[in-house]
Amino acid sequence: MKDIEHLLRVAAVFVLVISAFFAARHFLVPETFGKYGHYRAAAATEMASMPLHYAGEPACLRCHPEQAKAKAGAGHRGVHCESCHGALLAHAQNPKAVKAVKPKEADMRAFCGICHARNISRPAKFPQQDLAQHNPGVACSQCHNPHNPKP
Amino acid sequence: MPAGLLESLRAALPHVTGFIYPNELELQWSVLIVLYPYLTGLVAGAFILASLERVFNVAAVKPTYRLSLLTALAFLLIAPLPLQAHLGHPERSLEIFMTPNTSSAMAMFGFVYTWYLMAVLLMEIWLDYRREIVEWSRTEAFWPKRLFYKVLTFGVTNISPRSLEIDDKLGKAITVIGLPSAVLLHGYVGFIFGSLKANPWWSTPLMPVIFLFSAMASGIAGVLLIYMFLCRLRRVPIDMPCLDTVAKYLLTAIIVAFSLEMLETIQTAYEAKDHFDIITLLVEGKLFISMFIVQIAMGSLVPMLVLGLNQLFLFPERVRRACYAVSAGLSLIGILAMRWNVVMGGQLFSKSLRGFTTYKLELAGREGLLAAAVLTVLPLFVLAALLYLLPPWAHGGSARAAKSPSA
Repeated sequence: MKDIEHLLRVAAVFVLVISAFFAARHFLVPETFGKYGHYRAAAATEMASMPLHYAGEPACLRCHPEQAKAKAGAGHRGVHCESCHGALLAHAQNPKAVKAVKPKEADMRAFCGICHARNISRPAKFPQQDLAQHNPGVACSQCHNPHNPKP
Repeated sequence: MPAGLLESLRAALPHVTGFIYPNELELQWSVLIVLYPYLTGLVAGAFILASLERVFNVAAVKPTYRLSLLTALAFLLIAPLPLQAHLGHPERSLEIFMTPNTSSAMAMFGFVYTWYLMAVLLMEIWLDYRREIVEWSRTEAFWPKRLFYKVLTFGVTNISPRSLEIDDKLGKAITVIGLPSAVLLHGYVGFIFGSLKANPWWSTPLMPVIFLFSAMASGIAGVLLIYMFLCRLRRVPIDMPCLDTVAKYLLTAIIVAFSLEMLETIQTAYEAKDHFDIITLLVEGKLFISMFIVQIAMGSLVPMLVLGLNQLFLFPERVRRACYAVSAGLSLIGILAMRWNVVMGGQLFSKSLRGFTTYKLELAGREGLLAAAVLTVLPLFVLAALLYLLPPWAHGGSARAAKSPSA
């Protein structure tokens, strides 16, 4: 026993280190970790309770039937209202106090160009324009109704 | 588009050839990820050299036994730093220990590393040095050092023949366990690359084995050079039988590593799958110098030729020493080039198999050349500190040498 005392002490150190590891895990690993998978289950609840910003298209269409009609079946039918007008939950909840954002005419060419400026990586059939050549200086909405953009 | 991105695109796009996907423009694994397998390879190689004496009773390499262990420890302590420096949030790396994901090779490796450091290397070094540690704890004049030794004795100063015999047996058992641990430690790095099925330059089951044997070559070469340098520094004669034997093992490791690398290359060429054209362009273009000149010619063929000639003819000692030093130095450079070719080569060509991106090594910065250079030499400073605290030259490089009748 005397001849292995040093080994027993090292073993004790190892036991201490391993115990410290498990103690650290007890304090550092979140309580709900691993409940459903390799993540913190409470994170899902936290994300769900974050403040909402977007109302969703059905909320817009309830009050704006004209725009809904224009969009239906047009080229922009798949583009959600809030893609161009920004997050609108506050507006939907209080339409008088909070107004929806409209792209300014001065910024329109750059704004529409986000999707429609010519780009080699876009599908060939997707409507694209060379903004330097296509009616330079004219706001897109002069010729195109944004809700039904076919000229 | 953000101005910074536009600026970097303007600088990078002229260097792109052919068609690449947008997310391939920037290489994610920088020079630090080249350095990481290089450092862990040196650890595994040095440990395997130490185990030659301990497990396989190669008495000739006894003078390098302790030096190999200390070299392995010095490099092992620094090995995670390139990874940490590469991470954007290094503090989050603790999560892989706290919440280990058993299906992740990287996460499990954290435990392999810890096991190898604590249960294998530290234990083996401590058991081998215990007798001296007890003696130094009594005789050391410099008090901080004496305190350090006192702590390392764990309050037990018993160095009876029986207790030392138990230490010896346990040390040998640890080395036997340590061998597969060293294989696992470095085989894992190859496993990570070999498992990336989407990358034809990496995806081969040979990758862990190639990494392992090149690691052996680099570790043996590293210890050989350090041993020669320390002998010169201490003005003591080099143990030539030891050096000859280490060089013989170095030659064996280089031959096996090179054969495996060539086997993989020839197999790829013979198979000539759909990715073969882009691989050909890669090795004949961007990797030509680092692969054919540095890795194959300078880092493998020349050392094999020089060391091979030394096996065939008995040159004078001075010539042999020069041959061994040059071969070891070249193979170290060659293996670093091999790591570069694997890590960078796999990222330079596009998954489209139709184009190449580029990698520009920065000078400064977290992942620049200077950071890599510092991390490369840092283990040598750690080794210097270890040599100061635990000089390996007592009893001819091994405590057991003092007890063995041949010593």
